[in-house]
Amino acid sequence: MKSVLTTVVAAADRAARFPSSSDLESVQGSLQRAAARMEAADKLAGNYDQVAQEAVDAIYKKYPNGQGKDIDAGTQKDKCKRDIVHYLRLINYCLVVGGTGPLDEWGINGAREVYKALGIGADTYVTGLTALRSRGCAPRDMSAQALVEYNTYLDYVINSMA
Amino acid sequence: MLDAFSKAVTSADAGGKFVGGADLDSLKGFIADGNKRLDAVNFLASNASCIVTDAVSGIVCESPGLIAPGGGVYTNRKMAACLRDGEIVLRYITYALLTGDASVLNDRCLNGLKETYAALGVPAGNAARAVSIMKAAAVAFVNNTASQRKESVAQGDCASLASEVAGYFDTVVGAIS
Repeated sequence: MKSVLTTVVAAADRAARFPSSSDLESVQGSLQRAAARMEAADKLAGNYDQVAQEAVDAIYKKYPNGQGKDIDAGTQKDKCKRDIVHYLRLINYCLVVGGTGPLDEWGINGAREVYKALGIGADTYVTGLTALRSRGCAPRDMSAQALVEYNTYLDYVINSMA
Repeated sequence: MLDAFSKAVTSADAGGKFVGGADLDSLKGFIADGNKRLDAVNFLASNASCIVTDAVSGIVCESPGLIAPGGGVYTNRKMAACLRDGEIVLRYITYALLTGDASVLNDRCLNGLKETYAALGVPAGNAARAVSIMKAAAVAFVNNTASQRKESVAQGDCASLASEVAGYFDTVVGAIS
């Protein structure tokens, strides 16, 4: 999976050379920024259920009847929350890795086709994720730098669906 | 190729779990001790030629038959190939140490190495012994206890890095013997 570490090693391996001091410098730079990412991942892992519930509430405030197949309203809300939790989990992975690899490979790729087949407009998810995007607050939820990292991946998902 | 971070992610994904708690704590340790790790990689890379040539002369001293006609490194051509292979193994171990994960070593270096060596007639016992000598040297460099090549760096406890790098050498020995 693509990250600063694996990119550096792949480049060194292509040239059959030991890691050079410039390789080590770029790894060091990425490790310096990593602490904020870990903080955001930690906070998200500890509180994802509540965060997802807020997104679901925002979605059903805007679309009181939901979208998609005619199923029991409670079941539909549960499934909606499950999907939001899924995106939050992938964002947690992206924060850990420091790249969009997990979201690209396991979330965004094929999402459009799936939602089309299920008759769910991507605008529902966009509504929920945008609500999370505007709700995050530093330093109440996490430090400013951590919030920047977290919002970056929320924006990435929103842009992919918009 | 994985690193310590993507390894945590792939194993969390297998169970559909968030990365948090103890997994995240070990990654935070990886970040906090990042400079030690980079120093260790730097020492191994800077002393690569010394580590490899010492190991190869070590096996020749222990088994003089290796350079006698018919021996495993008889003729300069085979000796050069031996030195080159030692350097390749050490290079992949520095990659593994840098990423904090053995996948690059396993996938790109060790996969099929035993069969290749068997086909080429490389004496497996001597090759494994050379890797063990490299391991002793590498551990000394990581702990900065190499008697002739001490580096002046910030003092710190690198025992866990030393055992990590020793583990990668053990993986190599296990793969070729």
